[in-house]
Amino acid sequence: MMARPGIATAGGGWASFNAAMTRVLALESFPLANADAVVNRARAGDPEAIEQIFEAFQVPVYNLARRICRTVEDAEDVLQDTFLEVAKSIRRYRGDGSLWAWIRTIASSKALMRLRRNKYRDADELHDEFMPSRRDEGHLRMDLEAALERLPEMSRAVVWLHDVEGYTHSEIGEMMGKSVSFSKSQLARAHARLRRWLGEEVPA
Amino acid sequence: MTHLTMEQLLSARDPVSSPGTQQANGHLESCAACRAELDRLHQRTAQLKALPMLRPPRNRWPQVRAQLVARRRTRRMTVSGIGGFALAASVALFYLAGSWTPSVGEAEAQEAIATAIAQSQVLENALGQYRPEHRVTDGRTALVISGLETEIAEVDRRLQLAEMRQRQDDAVLRLWRQRVGLMDALVSVHLTRATNAGL
Repeated sequence: MMARPGIATAGGGWASFNAAMTRVLALESFPLANADAVVNRARAGDPEAIEQIFEAFQVPVYNLARRICRTVEDAEDVLQDTFLEVAKSIRRYRGDGSLWAWIRTIASSKALMRLRRNKYRDADELHDEFMPSRRDEGHLRMDLEAALERLPEMSRAVVWLHDVEGYTHSEIGEMMGKSVSFSKSQLARAHARLRRWLGEEVPA
Repeated sequence: MTHLTMEQLLSARDPVSSPGTQQANGHLESCAACRAELDRLHQRTAQLKALPMLRPPRNRWPQVRAQLVARRRTRRMTVSGIGGFALAASVALFYLAGSWTPSVGEAEAQEAIATAIAQSQVLENALGQYRPEHRVTDGRTALVISGLETEIAEVDRRLQLAEMRQRQDDAVLRLWRQRVGLMDALVSVHLTRATNAGL
């Protein structure tokens, strides 16, 4: 098989970087001193232990919630709901994966639940109403933060869960109660939009 | 030349191969535009991962803690309610069956337990009126409340065990009286706080 010119250096470099970033984010990058002891105390119902877990993980949980939910208030509610669930279910945490991975799954589910409950107007056509027409897009350049914010809720959630948090399409489909192909097509549409809005689209 | 769609580019990007990935890889070998597009996709993903961590605008722990306390109180009231119901039901059953007449000592113990349960429920109701989960307390008061809550939880755990063993003896009476004492202290703490804060 021929070597792919360019990919091994440029694309390959970014791929390695992304893989490394995903591993860093998936690991215990939010340390909790004496995690095992704290978890054991939390299992016994010690409120101080729950508070320690809250202090250690509140920022990544909020960040995930805020990236998925439309408003600050929703993200704060997800933060609260997540730690209430953590306190309630800590006995079921078996310790076979990282504590952050377990909490992150709870937070993701709560954030997706909030999206469904709020029944945001997520129709793509509707969202496009607020975007400039294709003809004007030559002048449009958003920064990534703003472009991400403007994606429809489900697309944004898929982008964040897949590209940043490292969930597979299968896991995302399961969390959303949708199919793998739903997750894949949402990701593709989201990236096509981001590319356009960021002014990265190359004319054919 | 037809270039790769976004879905095909994403398939080529992800390490887990899916149908069409091989074909997409084949195209990438010969198409500089699609390779550049794939590179931009990698860059965009890297930029997403590098976005700053968003921090909560305020400390949400007091609300979480208040909800946990409220949940614990609900459990306590359930235990208290179940205790009272179980006691009444068992006494009624024995009397209705006519097969058992409690001795004077046992009858007194049961009456005393019923009284303690009723007192406990009155105190739970009084505590509910202060809606402590919606109040801000200083650190020292919160510590006292937390200590009392923990002691009550332990008494409740032992009462639950006694319920499971269908015990209605002096030990159970002592537990219920201990519970009443602790609940009384808890209500007093909240009453003092409410008086001082004017709430």
